[in-house]
Amino acid sequence: MLILGIDTSCDDTSAAVLEGRKILSNVVSSQVEIHKKYGGIVPELASRRHIEMIWPVVSEALDKASVTLKDIEGIAVCNGPGLIGSLLVGVCFAKATGYASKIPFIGINHLEGHILSAMLGDETPGFPFLCLVVSGGHTSLYRVDGFGQYRELGRTRDDAAGEAYDKVAKLLGLGYPGGPYIDRLAQEGDPSWVEFPRPYLHGSFDFSFSGLKTAVKNYVESLGKVDHRSVAHICASFQASVVDVLIKKTLSAARRERISNVSLSGGVAANRELRRRMKELENREGIRVFLPPRHLCTDNAAMIAIAGHHRLARGERSDITLTARAVLPV
Amino acid sequence: MHEIEYRCRSVKETVAVGEALGRVLRPGDNVFLYGDLGAGKTTFIKGIARALDIDEDEITSASFVIIAEHYGRYPLYHVDLYRIAGEAEVFEIGLEEYLDGDGIAVVEWAERLKGWDSTFSVYLHVRGEEERLIKITGSSERLQGLKNG
Repeated sequence: MLILGIDTSCDDTSAAVLEGRKILSNVVSSQVEIHKKYGGIVPELASRRHIEMIWPVVSEALDKASVTLKDIEGIAVCNGPGLIGSLLVGVCFAKATGYASKIPFIGINHLEGHILSAMLGDETPGFPFLCLVVSGGHTSLYRVDGFGQYRELGRTRDDAAGEAYDKVAKLLGLGYPGGPYIDRLAQEGDPSWVEFPRPYLHGSFDFSFSGLKTAVKNYVESLGKVDHRSVAHICASFQASVVDVLIKKTLSAARRERISNVSLSGGVAANRELRRRMKELENREGIRVFLPPRHLCTDNAAMIAIAGHHRLARGERSDITLTARAVLPV
Repeated sequence: MHEIEYRCRSVKETVAVGEALGRVLRPGDNVFLYGDLGAGKTTFIKGIARALDIDEDEITSASFVIIAEHYGRYPLYHVDLYRIAGEAEVFEIGLEEYLDGDGIAVVEWAERLKGWDSTFSVYLHVRGEEERLIKITGSSERLQGLKNG
C-alpha cells in the first residue's frame, strides 16, 4: 500500500511516501532560517510558508519515490496537536487532494506519529514498549501495546523539555532552536558546576520543567555578567538536570510496567547527551533502547504515513469534516 | 482603575488567587497576565481553570501552540504570546476571534498586545522562591465582586 504522509504541525513542511514501512521518500522543508531571527516561531509566517511549500514538497516527495498521485492509495495527514494555522494547511490540502483524486485519507495525531517512528528504524521494538516523546511542545511517556493502543503514563505539567531548552537558550543569548546550541556548549562545560533542581515528582511519571527554567534564570541574574566559560558550565549543568530526570523517569516506568523495550522520539531525541545516557541503560539495566535516526525523531511526514498505513489498512477513514486541532490527546 | 493586592507564600496560594478570580469570570471576559519568565503565569491559570471545572492538569505551557482551548463551565482560551515577534502577528493568528468570543480569554505576555482592553489585568511579581506579589486591576464593580467572592 502506497501512502502519502503530510505534516505541517509546526515550522516544517513535510511530505513522505511509504510502501508498507519502507520509506521511499521523506522530504522536510525547514523554516528554521525564517524564524531564527525572532528567537521562536512566528505563526503567521509559518502558515504562509506552509501554503507556499506544500505543493513543491509533496511533488518532490512523489518524484523522489518515482510515483505520481495516481499511484497513491491513501493520504495520512497530521491534524493535531500543533499550531492551528499551520495544521490547517496540511489538513485542507489532504482533504482537497483526497476528495478530488478519490483517495482515502485519514487524520493522524502527531504524537501517534512520534510513537510509531520507532517502527521506521532498521530494528523495531516488539510490543509492549515504552516511548518517551520529548520535543518543544511535548514531554510524555507512553506505554505502547500495539498499533493504536497507547496509554499515557505521564506528561509534563507545565513546560515541555524542549521548551525549557529554548527558553534557557534565549536567556543565555544563544540561538534558536535552543537544543543544539546548549547540547554543543554543554560538551565544554562541567555538569556539576551548578546544582540545578531535578523535579522528580515522586509517585508519578509526570514531568515539570518550569521550575528548572526559573532556577536557571535566577542563577544567571545572580551572576550579573556571564562569560563564555560560565555559559558552557550553565548549559552542562542544565542539560544534566533535564537528562537525569528524563532517564530516571523512563527507567522507573520501565521497571514498574515490567517492559524491557524503550524508544525515544521528538526533537529533543536528537540530543547527544540524552541519546548517550539512554544507550547506557542497555548495558546497565538490561533494557533494549531503540533510537530512531535523528531525522526520524524530529518532525517528519514518514512517521505520519506509517501511522496512517496501519489505520487505513484496518479500514479507518476520515471524511471531509476532518478538522485541525491545536490540542488533541492521543 | 482599581486594584487588589495579594501576597502569596506558596504555589498553592498563587493557584488559590487564580481560582478566586476564576470564580467571578463571565463569558466574554478577557484577562491579561503580566510577569517575567517563571513568575507563575501558567500556575495562576491552573487556578482559573479549576474554578471553571476544567482539570488543572490540562493546563500546561501554551508557548508552543500559542492558543490552547479548554472547555469547562465556559470555554477557556489560554493564549501565550511568548514566541510572538511583534504586534502585527498578534492579529494575524486570529486572536481577535478569541478576545471577542463567547469564552474567557486569558493572555500571557499581554504586553505584546496593544489596543485591547482587559476585564482584569494581573501583574505577577517574584518576591522569593515561591513568594509572589499579585496585583489585579479592573473596574471597581468587577473588583468588588472579586473581594466579595
